[in-house]
Amino acid sequence: MKKVIITSVAIALLLLTGCSDKPTPNISDTSDSSQAKESFAVNTETISGDNTAVIDENANINADSNEMNMASLENKMQSVYFAFDKFTINTEMQSKIAAGAKIANSAASEFMIKLEGNCDEWGSDEYNFALGLKRADAVKKALIAEGVDASRITMVSYGESNPTCSDKTQDCWSENRRVDFKLLP
Amino acid sequence: MKILLSILMTITFAFASDTTIQVIKKIDSLPSIAIEDGSSHNNETFKMKFFKSLVADLNVISLFNVDRRKFNNDFDTNEVDAINKNSNYVLKYNLSKNAASGFSVKVKMIKNNEVVLAKNYKVSNSKKYVFVAHAIAYEINNYMGEPSIEWIKKKVIFSRVVAPKKSEIVIADYTLAYQHVIVKGGFNLFPKWASKKQNGFYYTSLNEAKPTLKYVNTRTAKITNIISSEGMMTCSDVNSNGTKLLLTMAPKGQPDIYLYDVKTKKITRITKYKGIDVSGQFMDDDRIVFVSNRLGYPNIFSKSLNSNDIEQMVYYGKSNAAATANGEYIVYKARESSGAFSKNTFNLHMISTKTDVIRRLTASGVNEFPRFSRDGDAVLFIKNYKNQSSIGIIRLNHNKNYLFPLKYGKIQSMDW
Repeated sequence: MKKVIITSVAIALLLLTGCSDKPTPNISDTSDSSQAKESFAVNTETISGDNTAVIDENANINADSNEMNMASLENKMQSVYFAFDKFTINTEMQSKIAAGAKIANSAASEFMIKLEGNCDEWGSDEYNFALGLKRADAVKKALIAEGVDASRITMVSYGESNPTCSDKTQDCWSENRRVDFKLLP
Repeated sequence: MKILLSILMTITFAFASDTTIQVIKKIDSLPSIAIEDGSSHNNETFKMKFFKSLVADLNVISLFNVDRRKFNNDFDTNEVDAINKNSNYVLKYNLSKNAASGFSVKVKMIKNNEVVLAKNYKVSNSKKYVFVAHAIAYEINNYMGEPSIEWIKKKVIFSRVVAPKKSEIVIADYTLAYQHVIVKGGFNLFPKWASKKQNGFYYTSLNEAKPTLKYVNTRTAKITNIISSEGMMTCSDVNSNGTKLLLTMAPKGQPDIYLYDVKTKKITRITKYKGIDVSGQFMDDDRIVFVSNRLGYPNIFSKSLNSNDIEQMVYYGKSNAAATANGEYIVYKARESSGAFSKNTFNLHMISTKTDVIRRLTASGVNEFPRFSRDGDAVLFIKNYKNQSSIGIIRLNHNKNYLFPLKYGKIQSMDW
């Protein structure tokens, strides 16, 4: 009885590993040298030399005359921070948004507002980008509720690729889970 | 007893071709191979680089016990070095300079003093030497009667973040030994090959008023704007013949998956959930897997392109934020620590839609962005560990992982 079980297990194991066994290379009869040569006819393969172009995306970027004024206003509009894997706004952040909306509708009223969503470093995938976008969208809805015209607001997500802090600490990670205000002419 | 035998046989046959079952081989059982350099090329550094690439490739194809010592021997004779007499195979090569530029390689594999495989290669650009090593490994794998490893000859395209909001798009070989920066300046992400031929790619440009998907023809360097969207715009996948794209867009701030027809430019919205739906990946031409937070945390789901029925694919883990599919197989990224406040571990796992087996593919660090090869033989992924970014390759049928580190920057996304 025991023997039969062991044999069965051995057969099963052999079959299980069978799929990984390589077939022995089949070499044609090498006694006839002319035949052997023919079957190893050497083809020259050319490895292509394309992909040598370089595209410079900087060429499209122009400086703007309003930059100084916009930068000082941007500094007054405080970033909004979020909890891990969340895109809901807490009451502390709500007051920051209200202050931002006030500036948006007064000193910055001639500018468009760009909301930049950001995440911590845990993931370079699309989900993290979408999380950054949902954060920006939550701030957009809150700004609209504070009276900012929806048509003035645009959004973008940078995922984890725009950190303000790169240390491996929880303080640093929470600094990166944020939405920044930028002004556009 | 007959019943027990039948059960064992059934298990054996049911799992024999299932790659979720790990196949473990003994190194000792693999045939040995040694490499002999008979080059007329006079650049010793170049010769050593080529030798190292060959050794790396022969290891990755996982068919040999590779001798890492470099032997010098005359190329023209079929005699092998005395020390390699007992080696099952000897690979001989001759690197020589071309008259104009670049180099040529003659290579032959010898078994029992007979040539069993011979190839010649001509390369115009010496920087591409590593692709010759990959082509040789490809031929050897074919000769050994193994399933084709077309992926080894493919180019990898990746985006590398070099500073906040600054990145480069790089074309490389799978080991990152060859690298060519094709898009520099600005903030450009999520490159994706437009077809199997790899003569064009899509990428997301964040340098415009709205995130914009662009197409680059790599032969002419011509850029075409494809489509823009508020908030988010990525090309998540391209179907097998390059005619359909799965995009993630958010025209109203709501990330959803859309199907884009390359010829007609017709856009069809595929998902309509008020949370997050992203990362659509073709399982075949009619069915996709995607990432959604519809259960309150990111997880992997699938749906047909022609119906609204949605099926949960993964029942393990509370944060599965990325996936790749190939027919019945899905590889996904799972967070394996609870950590809002600690270092996190992310591992890749593989499931089959036809069984309940889960196979864990990685063991430590942050492993993400899995991408199946088109033939399903291998999975490429990004590993970030101790401030170093690497490209990893998993040989599914051989149960082996290899890592190729990046010298600087952090890999954001990639395709091959």
